[in-house]
Amino acid sequence: MNRVPPSQEQPEDVDDQYRRASALDPSRPSEAVRRAVLAHAARLAAERATRIEGSKTKSTRTAVNQAWWRPAILGTLAAAALAGLMIAPRFLVEAPRAQGTRPNTAPALVAQAPDTRAEERAPSAPALGPERTAKPGASTRNADMLSHIGGARPKVDARASGGAAPVAAESALVAPRAREEAQSTGAMVGSVEASPQRAPSNTFRGTATTAVPRISEAPAGPAAAVRRAAEMGDLSGLQRLLEKPTDIDSRDAAGRTALMLATLHGQTDAVAALLAYGADPNAADADGTTPLQAARAGDHPAIVAALQRYGAR
Amino acid sequence: MTDAGESDEALMGLYARGDAAAFVVLYRRHEARIWRYLERNVRNRATADELMQEVWFAVARDADRYEPTSRFTTWLFTIARNRMIDSIRTSPQQVSLETLGYEGELVVQQLTTEPNVGPLGAVVVRDQAAALRQAIGQLPREQRDAFLLQIEGDFSVEEVATITQSSFETTKSRLRYARTKLRELLSEHA
Repeated sequence: MNRVPPSQEQPEDVDDQYRRASALDPSRPSEAVRRAVLAHAARLAAERATRIEGSKTKSTRTAVNQAWWRPAILGTLAAAALAGLMIAPRFLVEAPRAQGTRPNTAPALVAQAPDTRAEERAPSAPALGPERTAKPGASTRNADMLSHIGGARPKVDARASGGAAPVAAESALVAPRAREEAQSTGAMVGSVEASPQRAPSNTFRGTATTAVPRISEAPAGPAAAVRRAAEMGDLSGLQRLLEKPTDIDSRDAAGRTALMLATLHGQTDAVAALLAYGADPNAADADGTTPLQAARAGDHPAIVAALQRYGAR
Repeated sequence: MTDAGESDEALMGLYARGDAAAFVVLYRRHEARIWRYLERNVRNRATADELMQEVWFAVARDADRYEPTSRFTTWLFTIARNRMIDSIRTSPQQVSLETLGYEGELVVQQLTTEPNVGPLGAVVVRDQAAALRQAIGQLPREQRDAFLLQIEGDFSVEEVATITQSSFETTKSRLRYARTKLRELLSEHA
């Protein structure tokens, strides 16, 4: 056998050739697969968010119910009441002997009762205090844990104090976001965020945003129809179109994708829907302008935020 | 908040906590590589599509069980490889690219429609791509798998060995043979 053992000389030439060819290879999975994967993922994300919300509420309730200070306070109060009952009769008996008048005993009794009640409240206030002040600390830890992969889920009542707000804000951001994405993927109703800031739809912006293109008149095909629905902010139309296998990143003559057009027209909901359907957030137009640059230039902060969340650079 | 600069592992963590956007970023980041790995191994678009869907469904489903003890891509490619092996086992008589022929043409046509490539460039690219695909298709299955894993997953020899559950030396040999064979085939073409 005169077979020469394979050598490792110049291994990079083949690799380079492979990489060059791959870089130019636009072969991708079918649109139907991409849709199915992203829709499935969005559904699971929504379920997870709901589950996390649920477990958070449950753990908060459990924490409140199992608070250590309740039995402690009750025990203290019971002991105090018992001691009071045992000691008070002695005073009641001795006081008249010493002072010879009963009227003073009555205030003593009256005074004692409020004291007991005051005592009853007194421990509870500090007990609540540390608990409440401890929670922000725990929430801070949990906020850190939230950002840590695979960390335990927060067991904190975010409503307990202002310090818990970051966690509340974080969970409030995460859960509805996922639900909205699932909706925008499935039912196309939610926007990613800041819908109230949505720019007015179907309006051609004249002076301030001269770069905003005129809305096209008659869509020639499904891809053009997607672009038109996106720039018009026609969510139901967009949903209908995106349910069919259409190239979501197809471009018009100026190299603008549906996402770019929706961005230019300030259609926040359409942007959110397109992103949830897997539109490329970095698809630049023929001039090299990216959707993120266009959103910043058009002063659409909600769209900027949505694009960034989907990895726009 | 999902960010383009987040690591794969961090994105998985975000997704496990219900952030769907994190998954979209992750998917977009690895779509092409996983697709090429599957499609060039099974050499059939329809099968690769099916596998692609299965792989990413599995990633989405098992996100909360994922522990970042190793790189995300190692986990991802392991899933992809296992699915592919299952698919080959259940339907060993897969229709290959060679027997279909037109699928290769389809990809080559896609290549030529790439707007950044001029007419002459398109011919060169078409030629190169066709030759490369043909050469990869001629590699023995284990060598092809090891080579595609390493180049698409950007893995070291050790990592390829771990994923393929082979010894380091075996993996090293497979990779070496694969490259030698590819070089021979491509030089023949040139």
